Amino acid sequence: MLNDTSLMSGTSACPGCPENIAMRMLSMALGKDVALVVIAGCSSVTQGLAPKNAYGYASLNIAFAAGPPAASGMWRAYKRRNRDVTVVVWAGDGGTSDIGFASLSGAAERNEDFIYLCVDNEAYMNTGGHRSGSTPHGALTPTTPEGKSGNKKEIPFIMIDHNIPYVATASVGYPHDFIDKVREAKTIRGFKYVHVLTPDPYGWLFDPSRTAEVAKLAVQTCYWPLFKWKDGRIEVSPESLHCLKKETRRPLKDFLSIQGRFKKIDEKGIEDLERYIDELWERISLNLKR
Amino acid sequence: MRKVMSANEAVANAVKLARVGVVGIYPITPQTTVIEKLAEMKAEGEIDADIVRVESEHAAMGVTLGAGAAGVRSFTATGSQGLLYMHEMVWWASGSRVPLVMMVGTRAVGAPWNIWNENTDFMSERDSGWIMAFASNPQEAFDLVLQGFRISEDERVFLPMMVGMDGFILTHMKTNVYLPSQEEVDAFLPPRRQPYVIDPEAPIGMGNIFPPVEYMKLRHSIHSAIQSAESVIKEIGKDYEKISPFNNYRTLNVKYRMEDADYALVLMGAWAGDAMEAIDELREKGINIGMLRIRYLRPWAESEIKELENVKGILVMDRATSLGRGGPLYLEVKATVRNQVKGVVTGLGGVLLNKEDFKRIILKFLKEAKEERSDGVEWYYPAEVEKVELRNPKDVE
Ligand SMILES: Cc1ncc(C[n+]2csc(CCOP(=O)(O)OP(=O)(O)O)c2C)c(N)n1
Ligand code: SF4
Repeated sequence: MLNDTSLMSGTSACPGCPENIAMRMLSMALGKDVALVVIAGCSSVTQGLAPKNAYGYASLNIAFAAGPPAASGMWRAYKRRNRDVTVVVWAGDGGTSDIGFASLSGAAERNEDFIYLCVDNEAYMNTGGHRSGSTPHGALTPTTPEGKSGNKKEIPFIMIDHNIPYVATASVGYPHDFIDKVREAKTIRGFKYVHVLTPDPYGWLFDPSRTAEVAKLAVQTCYWPLFKWKDGRIEVSPESLHCLKKETRRPLKDFLSIQGRFKKIDEKGIEDLERYIDELWERISLNLKR
Repeated sequence: MRKVMSANEAVANAVKLARVGVVGIYPITPQTTVIEKLAEMKAEGEIDADIVRVESEHAAMGVTLGAGAAGVRSFTATGSQGLLYMHEMVWWASGSRVPLVMMVGTRAVGAPWNIWNENTDFMSERDSGWIMAFASNPQEAFDLVLQGFRISEDERVFLPMMVGMDGFILTHMKTNVYLPSQEEVDAFLPPRRQPYVIDPEAPIGMGNIFPPVEYMKLRHSIHSAIQSAESVIKEIGKDYEKISPFNNYRTLNVKYRMEDADYALVLMGAWAGDAMEAIDELREKGINIGMLRIRYLRPWAESEIKELENVKGILVMDRATSLGRGGPLYLEVKATVRNQVKGVVTGLGGVLLNKEDFKRIILKFLKEAKEERSDGVEWYYPAEVEKVELRNPKDVE
């Protein structure tokens, strides 16, 4: 059943907003009986102005680094009150990979029983698109006008190294895959980490009508892998299976050229990115479920 | 039941008797024995609370606030660097109007490192919209934490409450503490009430953006809730007499020999004991001085403080600083009364004062008061410190 309860009209997001797309898919996956913890980021604004709220879910907005701790307190409170509620932390990539990383890691180590959802638009979009630990090599941002030097932090792998029960990656370009993974996460006790790529027209500089297309290209060019990690093994999603072999990957330039943020990248920069992708897939191959 | 215990142990007992459901813990000296005791109680099956061993104080308040917002009574404890690290969440808790209680074992803040007592950490939260009490003995530590849950959960208040206590001097001080029975506490402390619960049953969104005027009204409502807490605290203090032999909670602050006093000493915390001894001895020499011990920094019981206008001179002692300005308590008193007020900043970073120091401070103040120059702030060092050369960070070997 694809019911959609999380997002009502009145959101103040930009046209083509990938976070709102992810929010709708989240409720298609989870239905009702959800409590959201929303940390600082675009989503704390796009809910609209209080006392109204465009999110249909019970939600607690909270300071940047406090998402996982608040969720830790909440799921325990629901359990004590015999309420069956799925607690979801909704966090941007900056809130996840940088300022909130210690609290994410702490809650994962304690194996707290909630879903942590990272919506990754690869920049601090709410403050104006500044670079975060999740911004890729070569990308232009207001704080890296020369292009960021250094790769994206690989948070899904770092979370795998926490030995939590479930880690999954997704892309808003592939709704069924994303929804399935969130649904699966809901059935598992303990800490679930889901990382969804949410290409942002305003940070990545593409036309807002093309959000889903860019989200697909990221997967097709193997820049962004779709997989899940469960029972100690990685399972690559069908959409990404072609990436396991270098020859079958779609050229990276198809992904880079559709966006303005890579316009200053040179051949060397592209090679660096390609090497990053090779290494990413080598790492995935080593942990494959066979 | 009466039992010899430290203030920290008394706090743990109050948490147990209040049937707290979730406790967020992160260790910092001198708070550690509170959380160790709670963990031990949990291990022994004496309490069934969720003890969440988080990775920072920011997270400790996150857990405590999250549990509270989702409908369960919650508690945490910290101090010093921990309270400073938590600062963002301290504001988030009051802004969210989620009732909860926090114990603060006070300690100096760095740089440089210093683990000894000072109240600047506690004082630096005075603008954060919390109810703020400060204990002066283990019994009061117990009473205030227990009462704290009821005050915080009162619909006229609905604010978090912190209870401060002097690090080591009080947190580790052992005396006889009277503990009411579980049945008595259950009768005193009704089931949790709170302004809202985050629950899918009635989905609401809390904490999204408030436009300017609406935001200001929210702040205003916290301001007036703190003020209306004054009568709530007195009412609850009186009701506490049903389960406790102590009847000194009918006022927020505590007077000592003030009936016929010509001069008043104002301070808060555990050093009130030494101050009272000094006052007794000075009284024998015909010096009419009394003391007002501040037990609640917020609400600031203006009418109780204003009574000080009847004395000839006021001396305020701070174990804290607003650097460059004096002591926070001094500034508060000065803003409340018309009289001349002298401030003394001392006891920082664990500097200990004895009865003789109090007598010296008071006698000097009396001399100045008689000459009508008992104004301004003095930094006082104990008698054995002969020469005060100010230290700089590079004065190291
Ligand atoms: C402690 C703190 N520092 C800085 C900010 C300012 N701030 C608010 S949102 C934001 C960016 C969030 O970026 P991200 O987590 O990637 O989410 P997005 O906005 O992209 O959804 C920043 C830096 C803040 N709210 N709190
Ligand atoms: S900046 Fe990006 S994430 Fe933020 S509201 Fe606009 S489209 Fe959505």
